[in-house]
Amino acid sequence: MSYAIVGQRVRRVDAREKVSGRAVYTGDLNLPHMLVGKVLRSPHAHARILSIDTSKARSLPGVKAVLTWEDTPKILWNSAGFPPSPGAVLMEDQYILTDKARYVGDAVAAVAAVDEDTAERALELIEVEYEALTPAMDVEAAMAEGAPLIHSAEKNVAAHMPVVIGDVEEGFRQADFVFEDRYYVPKVYQVTMEPCGVAVAAPDIDGRITIWTSTQMPHLVRGITAHALGLKTGKVRIIKPPVGGAFGSRLGVVNEPVAALLALKSGYPVMLKYTREESFLGTESRHPITMVLKTGVKKDGSFTARQMTAYIDGGAYATHTPSFAGPVAGWFLAMYKCANIKVDNYSVYTNSTQCGAFRGYGNPQVVFAVESQVDDIAMALGLDPLEIRRKNHPCEGEVWTWSGWEIESCGLEEAIERGAKAIGWDTKRNGQAVPSGTKKRGVGMGYMMHVSGARPMLHETSAAVVKINEDGSANLIFSNSDVGQGSGTALTQVAAEELGLAYEDVMITKTADTDVAGFDIGSHASRQAYSGGNAVRKAAAAAREKLLTMAAEILQVPVENLTVENGVVLTREGEEKSISVAEVSHKAHFGSHGHQIIGVASEEPEGNPPVYAAQFAEVEVDTETGVVEVLKVVAAHDVGTAINPTLVEGQIQGALQQGIGYALTEEYRYDPASGRPLNANLADYKILTAMDMPEVETILVEASCRTGPFGAKSVGESGLVGTAAAIANAVFDATGIRFRELPITPEKVLAALRAQEK
Amino acid sequence: MKLPITLKVNGESYRLDAEAKRTLLDVLREDLALTGTKKGCGAGECGACTVLMDGKPVNSCLVLAVDASGREITTIEGVGGLDGLSPVQEALVDHGAVQCGYCTPGVVLTAKALLDSNPHPTEAEVREGLSGNLCRCTGYVKIVEAVLAVSRASERRD
Repeated sequence: MSYAIVGQRVRRVDAREKVSGRAVYTGDLNLPHMLVGKVLRSPHAHARILSIDTSKARSLPGVKAVLTWEDTPKILWNSAGFPPSPGAVLMEDQYILTDKARYVGDAVAAVAAVDEDTAERALELIEVEYEALTPAMDVEAAMAEGAPLIHSAEKNVAAHMPVVIGDVEEGFRQADFVFEDRYYVPKVYQVTMEPCGVAVAAPDIDGRITIWTSTQMPHLVRGITAHALGLKTGKVRIIKPPVGGAFGSRLGVVNEPVAALLALKSGYPVMLKYTREESFLGTESRHPITMVLKTGVKKDGSFTARQMTAYIDGGAYATHTPSFAGPVAGWFLAMYKCANIKVDNYSVYTNSTQCGAFRGYGNPQVVFAVESQVDDIAMALGLDPLEIRRKNHPCEGEVWTWSGWEIESCGLEEAIERGAKAIGWDTKRNGQAVPSGTKKRGVGMGYMMHVSGARPMLHETSAAVVKINEDGSANLIFSNSDVGQGSGTALTQVAAEELGLAYEDVMITKTADTDVAGFDIGSHASRQAYSGGNAVRKAAAAAREKLLTMAAEILQVPVENLTVENGVVLTREGEEKSISVAEVSHKAHFGSHGHQIIGVASEEPEGNPPVYAAQFAEVEVDTETGVVEVLKVVAAHDVGTAINPTLVEGQIQGALQQGIGYALTEEYRYDPASGRPLNANLADYKILTAMDMPEVETILVEASCRTGPFGAKSVGESGLVGTAAAIANAVFDATGIRFRELPITPEKVLAALRAQEK
Repeated sequence: MKLPITLKVNGESYRLDAEAKRTLLDVLREDLALTGTKKGCGAGECGACTVLMDGKPVNSCLVLAVDASGREITTIEGVGGLDGLSPVQEALVDHGAVQCGYCTPGVVLTAKALLDSNPHPTEAEVREGLSGNLCRCTGYVKIVEAVLAVSRASERRD
């Protein structure tokens, strides 16, 4: 199926303003009398706060507000951006400012002052008396007998989620072989180029407060912020300017409540902008997880039992973690068909910064473990690694255990075939790759499935208004939570396609404003093209129907004979009559009808079609230095219809940079004794530069689905989900060494090579 | 202590008094309202604040405003405007090399300086030239393609 605008590589709606430096981000705003906010952070990973003396700070000239726990509403809340839904387990354990320090960086006090120097001086003048407590920096320490309790509960395990399908013990009895392995994936950080945590809050004289914030979820942040402040939701207005990257880091409240409280207490607008170090210290990151996988398998490679026990390090506050355990189980159990599956997930508090959403939402963790073990199983059974995946993955027409719904379309077979060819699987696998001196080469692959939204676990409401102007152009009013991925552009294409207008004649609201646009969940779970796209298409279809009805009246032809293309309403066949959209709309506004043609939709999409990917990596391992160099990555992704292939490629390519980092270079580390972060900066936390990125080849497989807008599914997160597994499997192919812990650093590789020599 | 300085930015001269400790980045953003230059780290690690000083890219967060006095500064606001974008900017737009856009002004200036001094770089030279500008959205793939496309287009004109 080909379309006029969907499927085209149109320019982004926001490219010109960004490339010219004219896009105004939250941190660029300047309001009259705007104050500078600053947060005082705990230097201790775990400490009782015995007293806080703010008198000196308060008396410093230029200081307009000094806040501690005493000044915060005594309302517990949870920062995670979830709509009330069956899958949202929202344990409320946070105050805007804390009365106990639970990690290095925990917000203890906040100030607002006339300038940055004064605000920083005020922080220095706040005297806090701490009683340091022993920190628990990982799940072993936190779950140990006699561990220091991080919250007032009797233990540090916040939640335990068991899932049972069939009978795994029976499944293990039926197995010819049973594999049991332990995997660990570290904490990694999103590293948005605009540091996470920037908001401007301005109170108004009518008791409302407006917050400009760099967020993924304007409407949900409005609700959580209002709750934390003790306000009605409608009293808060959220405006979302361009966002400098998100990747999950802004999936919920970041620092909006602190900024708002400073603004309400001082009576002035307050800019609260975290530094790079503060964004590392005080905002959410990817969950470290220890996973024990036990898999029963027949000689032919079919699974008889699959079991995962996962210990999820959630950090100091619950936020996402108890809910996050749900998808972690879902990713695992839905990857491969098996009659007997058991998952035990433990969500554990530790004294590190709370963990939250990061692109993939647990899937990269689970896929690394599962796909590493499946490769080992294939090797042990003498099966082709590609074949064992083909044999066991769920297909179109089967029930996908993640959602419980039938799979609408599956492009995995094609992705595996084309990906394998592009990497040179048959010629490079099993040590066939040409080694050079002390370097060894290998290829590996990883497969994954991911969601298009989070139904039925979470609501996926979107709303759109399409209004046709008197000149035949149209406005698309949408709570545009584009955070860089290009969803604003894709939604504009969907609207233009449905309306039959030129792409340039449809203008989306670039800035989201909760006072203007209808309720939208925001950017999470790779949902914007699918959920947002469906609402936009329906709103556009409603406007189109009204437009055609009126055109039929003017042209004196039956409405079913009309269509609209490139701004002109014309008869499908037979008598050749036409009228421009501009003329119809002008008559609507100013003729006898006296109305504007407007289409509205607010709905949840019907399904949650999964996407598939097969990723392949070729690596070269330097046996003298231990350095793993990725030579090439091939990412073959089934995304459904690619609304804009350039945007889709961009999502995958950018995700790969994060996935390769996850495999090889990225780990946010703490000193286990003191709990202090060791690399809260971009010099020591290593993301890949332009020189580090390997050759990348993206392959788009468009297995369109029935329920998506023009057949689209999703792509936002999936580009990094299988990457670390593909690389680890390639390292195994090159060296015969299995790494079950990320990142695969030169130190680990050298140590393993030395051990192998013995 | 405030010192009188003259900043020459995008062809215009500005006389102002700047605290000795203030960076060029902060003065550009806060005193001259040139907010196209972004702050990503304040420590010279990310390149988001790249501007040109006498034609060479610098991290403006590592340059004291007083040290920039009298030098020719080019910020993103001085490259392309309502009357048209520069070739590098056009190429970034055409190749879909812009996502969140936060690193983009720095990338534009680095790429401009690279192509000004080496109009036909190899891919390796482009990657090395851009290695001080971190991007978390694109994997650099389309950015590198865009810069090479500018080089190819100018080759055809040469």
